[in-house]
Amino acid sequence: MAIIETRGLSKVYTLGKKRQVVALNDVTLNIQEGEIFGILGPNGSGKTTSLKLLLGIIFPTAGEIAIMGENQFSIAAKKNIGFLPENPYYYDYLTGPEILKFYGKLFDIPSSTIADRTEELLNLVGLYNARNLALKHYSKGMLERIGLATSLINDPKILILDEPTTGLDPIGCKETRDLLIKLNKSGKTILLSSHFLSEVERVCTRIAIFHRGYLLTTGTLTGLLEEYQAENLEDLFVKAIEKFDTAEQK
Amino acid sequence: MKKAWVIALNTFQESLRKKTFYVLLVVALVVIGASRFFSFLAAEDELKMIKDVGFASIEFFGALIAIFTALTAVSGEIEKRTIYPLLSKPIKRSHFIIGKLTGQTLVIFLNFVFMSLFFIVLLLIKKSPPDINIFKALILIFIELVLIGTITLTVATFATEAFNLIFSFFLYVVGHLISYGSQILERVENTLLQRLGKAFYSILPNYENFNIKDKVVVGVSVSWKYVGTNVLYGILYMVIALLIGIYFFNKREV
Ligand SMILES: Nc1ncnc2c1ncn2[C@@H]1O[C@H](COP(=O)(O)OP(=O)(O)OP(=O)(O)O)[C@@H](O)[C@H]1O
Ligand SMILES: [Mg+2]
Repeated sequence: MAIIETRGLSKVYTLGKKRQVVALNDVTLNIQEGEIFGILGPNGSGKTTSLKLLLGIIFPTAGEIAIMGENQFSIAAKKNIGFLPENPYYYDYLTGPEILKFYGKLFDIPSSTIADRTEELLNLVGLYNARNLALKHYSKGMLERIGLATSLINDPKILILDEPTTGLDPIGCKETRDLLIKLNKSGKTILLSSHFLSEVERVCTRIAIFHRGYLLTTGTLTGLLEEYQAENLEDLFVKAIEKFDTAEQK
Repeated sequence: MKKAWVIALNTFQESLRKKTFYVLLVVALVVIGASRFFSFLAAEDELKMIKDVGFASIEFFGALIAIFTALTAVSGEIEKRTIYPLLSKPIKRSHFIIGKLTGQTLVIFLNFVFMSLFFIVLLLIKKSPPDINIFKALILIFIELVLIGTITLTVATFATEAFNLIFSFFLYVVGHLISYGSQILERVENTLLQRLGKAFYSILPNYENFNIKDKVVVGVSVSWKYVGTNVLYGILYMVIALLIGIYFFNKREV
């Protein structure tokens, strides 16, 4: 059984009285346990929208979502999810350990476990030395790092990451990639969105390409390269989008 | 519900780490204290002045704290996007709202206690120990402050921060003028207009109900029945506002 499933998922944003934006159009996706699934797509293609839908932050216009067999609002299902939003922002008056403690408590994790994990996670994302610093003094990359740490506080089965390496320096990017692979090996299913094709190429076991709210295609990298007769992921990305746009024009 | 408490403590902590709380509290204490320096007045008038200024300051600065705390509690959370990671956690949206309300009420209470204690100490210095009517007036002010905060929180669930700020202050003023408004309405000829006006006024919170300071200051006592009725009015209003807030927040896309 798929760990995350969407069926006919659509999202229309209403702006004012008449203007509507179709951000997601009839997307049916299955993500299997143990995958590192990458969502690719140009700006505004609906990546963030689909992740927000999965977390119940926004509501679908049509379609259904199942996470571990439950709907996206299920408290039980959410206990197993770690989420890193796009350009994350947290309570800026708290320090790293305080923010981890706050989220840990929302998961009902015992204080001693939170304390242990806090030290471990701060070391993992390289923020241990900044542990006394309030988040308002963090740089963009540091916020991304603390975000990754908070998304792991509940030792989740599913990790949902919206552009996890945006704002990170090259070493941070590499560290994050290695970390994701390590977490995946330890049994976590990972769903991420990204603009960095090379990153997706290196870590994802399966990918989906979104464009203007449509799910163009899904599959393994090798499978898709063959299908589109593409040389690499960039070539594939361009071909998939061009194919859709020309079909649309007709 | 334990998680609502976690949210409440976080909200409380947030207020105590921001300057607004202290600045408003210090200004309030200065204003309350300044009334002491009207010593050129006759002793009796001076005492009246201290009480007048004291009650008015506790109410006014308390209202400012209530509005600003409630604004950061929900509107701030949405505006700054800290709501995204929060809503992805295993917490019900209703518990989030209840937690926020509890947290901001703790802040309002703390501020209220500081101001009231200062006020009472001032009365003691002037050798005029507060009588029960002083406490009745304070109780009603506290209920009013919590109600003001609750309404701002409710509005935050469906409106923007900027709108909420303006609306809350507007309501604060209008809520105090309701009694005058209904007096004017009595004289309106057009019955339809009168009915509409009355409906409008009965929906709005009548903050003036919580104001007994004019009586207390001149030594007129107010019955417990009046206090009880209006505490009940306040609580009922809050519960309804809270339910409306939860209803809208359950549907809110952030
Ligand atoms: N709250 C909103 N109200 C109205 N329209 C929105 C809202 N959020 C997103 N959109 C629109 O929905 C579409 C998809 O946006 P989304 O944020 O999902 O894109 P994305 O793929 O994450 O893009 P990016 O790569 O830039 O992060 C865009 O056209 C965007 O303008
Ligand atoms: Mg995005």
